[in-house]
Amino acid sequence: MCPFLSEIILEYCQVSEKMFHHPVGGEPSSDRMSVGFIGAGQLAHALVKGFMAAGVIATHRITASSPDSELLTVSGLRKMGVNMTTSNKEAVNKSDVLFLAVKPHIIPFVLDEIGPDIEDRHLIVSCAAGVTISSIEKKLLQYRPAPKVMRCMTNTPVVVREGATVYATGTHAQVEDGKLLEQLMGSVGFCTEVEEDLIDAVTGLSGSGPAYAFTALDALADGGVKMGLPRRLAVRLGAQALLGAAKMLLDSEQHPGQLKDNVCSPGGATIHALHVLESGGFRSLLINAVEASCIRTRELQYLADQERISPAAIKKTTLDKVLQQPGVEVSGVANGNGRSGLSLFNSRGPSIKKKN
Amino acid sequence: MSVGFIGAGQLAHALVKGFMAAGVIATHRITASSPDSELLTVSGLRKMGVNMTTSNKEAVNKSDVLFLAVKPHIIPFVLDEIGPDIEDRHLIVSCAAGVTISSIEKKLLQYRPAPKVMRCMTNTPVVVREGATVYATGTHAQVEDGKLLEQLMGSVGFCTEVEEDLIDAVTGLSGSGPAYAFTALDALADGGVKMGLPRRLAVRLGAQALLGAAKMLLDSEQHPGQLKDNVCSPGGATIHALHVLESGGFRSLLINAVEASCIRTRELQYLADQERISPAAIKKTTLDKVLQQPGVEVSGVANGNGRSGLSLFNSRGPSIKKKN
Repeated sequence: MCPFLSEIILEYCQVSEKMFHHPVGGEPSSDRMSVGFIGAGQLAHALVKGFMAAGVIATHRITASSPDSELLTVSGLRKMGVNMTTSNKEAVNKSDVLFLAVKPHIIPFVLDEIGPDIEDRHLIVSCAAGVTISSIEKKLLQYRPAPKVMRCMTNTPVVVREGATVYATGTHAQVEDGKLLEQLMGSVGFCTEVEEDLIDAVTGLSGSGPAYAFTALDALADGGVKMGLPRRLAVRLGAQALLGAAKMLLDSEQHPGQLKDNVCSPGGATIHALHVLESGGFRSLLINAVEASCIRTRELQYLADQERISPAAIKKTTLDKVLQQPGVEVSGVANGNGRSGLSLFNSRGPSIKKKN
Repeated sequence: MSVGFIGAGQLAHALVKGFMAAGVIATHRITASSPDSELLTVSGLRKMGVNMTTSNKEAVNKSDVLFLAVKPHIIPFVLDEIGPDIEDRHLIVSCAAGVTISSIEKKLLQYRPAPKVMRCMTNTPVVVREGATVYATGTHAQVEDGKLLEQLMGSVGFCTEVEEDLIDAVTGLSGSGPAYAFTALDALADGGVKMGLPRRLAVRLGAQALLGAAKMLLDSEQHPGQLKDNVCSPGGATIHALHVLESGGFRSLLINAVEASCIRTRELQYLADQERISPAAIKKTTLDKVLQQPGVEVSGVANGNGRSGLSLFNSRGPSIKKKN
C-alpha cells in the first residue's frame, strides 16, 4: 500500500461524522487541512487536546511553533503528536488554517515576521484578546492584497470539548472560511459568528467566565466542608450541581428565573439560601465581574491600537524577554532574527514548570 | 423490576424523564400516585407512559422500588396509609428532605418486622441526566438494595452512598445548588447584556461557560484554585474581574448560602421529628388542603379515606397551571 493511500485511510478513520465535508473548488476541507499554531501555550494546548478528543483533525497535521521548548505545554503538545518547531515560518508553511495563539502585544511582531510567508490559501485566525481584525489586516496588507483574517474568542473548556467560542469575519474571508472555522471550533463546544464589536463583551462573559465558576466552586466546596462534608465529596457535588443546572438551562426554553422558581419550595431550604445570596448582592457582583473584564479588554485593545508598548500595559516579564533578544528595538518592530514568537498565551513563565 | 412513586410532582416528573432518557427502565413499569389529576406534572408523566393512579395502595402493589416523593410533612400520613400494604420485596426510598430513616422505620415497624428503607437526596438536573444524588441505607436494607438504587440514580447523574448525618449538608450544597446556579446565570446574562450582547446569546454563553468549567473540574485532578490561576493571565481581563468578585465577598455569599440551606433543612427535620404539625412549619397552603379532607384530624394522623397523598414535591399549587 503506497504511503499516500495509507495516509488517506488514516485520515478517513480519524474524522468524526460531524466533520465530513466535501471540498469544493480545491479548498481545504476539514479532513485534509493542516492547522498551525503560532504560540504553544495554554490556548494551543487546550485546543489541540479538544480537537484530538473530537477526532476532527489528526494531530500529525498540526504544527505549533514556540521559541521556548521548556514549557510544559510544549512537551504536552509533542506527546499528543503535534509537530513542534521553534520556527514560526515552518508553522506557516505547513498550515492552511493558522491560529495566532500568542499574547496580544506580541501579535505585531509575529505578523511582521510571517507576513512574507502567507499565501492565498492561508486563513489567519487570531485568538488574541483585544486585537482587532483591522489592525491585523493593516499589517498583512503590506505583504498580500487580500489576506483572509478572522478573529475568535474562545475559552479553556475547549479542552473538555465544552468550550464557548465566537468569531468575527475579516474583509477578505469567505463564507466557506467561516464554515471551516465553525467546524473546527464547533467540535470542541459551542461556536457562533458575531459582529466584531461584541467580542469584548463575550470576553467578559464566557472568556473569563470559567474563572468565576472555579472561584464559585471553591467556595461552594468550602460551604459543604463547613457543614460537615469531606472535601472531595463537596467538590464533586458542587461541580455536578453547577454542571447539571447549566445543562438544564441550555436544554430548556425556560427563563433561568423560572428554573430557579421551580426548585424553591415554599418555606424550604433553597429559598432561605437564595435570600442570603440576594442580601449580599450576589447578582450585582457577577454583573460587575463581566463588566470589569470587558472594560479591561477594551483598555488593552486601546493600548495595543496605540502601537506603543509600555511596561504597564504589556505585562513586564514578557517585555523583558522581548527586549533581551538581539535586534529587537523598543519601537516594537522585530527585525531579522526570527525570534519574535516569544510570549505564549497565558504563559506563567517559570512557575509553569512547577505544575506536576 | 417495577418502580412506584407516591407523589407525582416535580421530583417524580424529573426522575422519570431522566430514567426514560437513560433507558434504565421502561415507563410502563412505573406507577405514580397523586390525588390531584390537574397537575401539569401528572399529565406529563402520563404522556411519558407512566401508569397514573389516585390510589397510593395501587402504586405500592405495582412496585418493587417505591419512591416517596411527597413533601416531608406528608410522609407520616402516607406511611400510615401504605404500611399494611408493604411486602418483603419492597424497597422504600424516601426523597423527603429532612425526614430521617429512623422515623420512617419506626412507622413501618408497626406493620412489618424488617422494612427495607433508604433515604436519598437528589436534585432537579436528573431531568437532563446530570443529577447529583446521595443515599443512606437503613437498618434492614441489604447491599443489593444499595446497588439497585445506585443503578437507577446513577443512570441520571452522579450517585454515591453517604452516612445519613451528611444528608443535610448535601441538601445545602447540591440539593439547592442548581438554584444558586440559575441565579448566577441570570446575573451573568445581565452582565453580558449590559456590555452589549443580545439576551439569547448572553444566556447561551454564560451557561456554556459554567458548564464547561464544571466539566473541567470534574475531569481534572487539579484544585479549583489552580484551574482558576490557569485562566488568569498577568494584568489581563479575568484577574480584573476576579478582583471585583473578591471585593464583594463573592465566596462568602456562597458559603453562607450552603450553610443557610443546610440549617433550614435541619430545622425542618427537627420540626418533623416533633410530630407536631404547626402552620408555620408546614407551608400553610398544603395544610389547608389536608384539613379539608373528611376524616383528617389536626392531630396529624390521616384516617381511613385513602386521600393522604396530597402534597407533591415542590408543588406550587394553582400557579403550576399557569405554566404553558
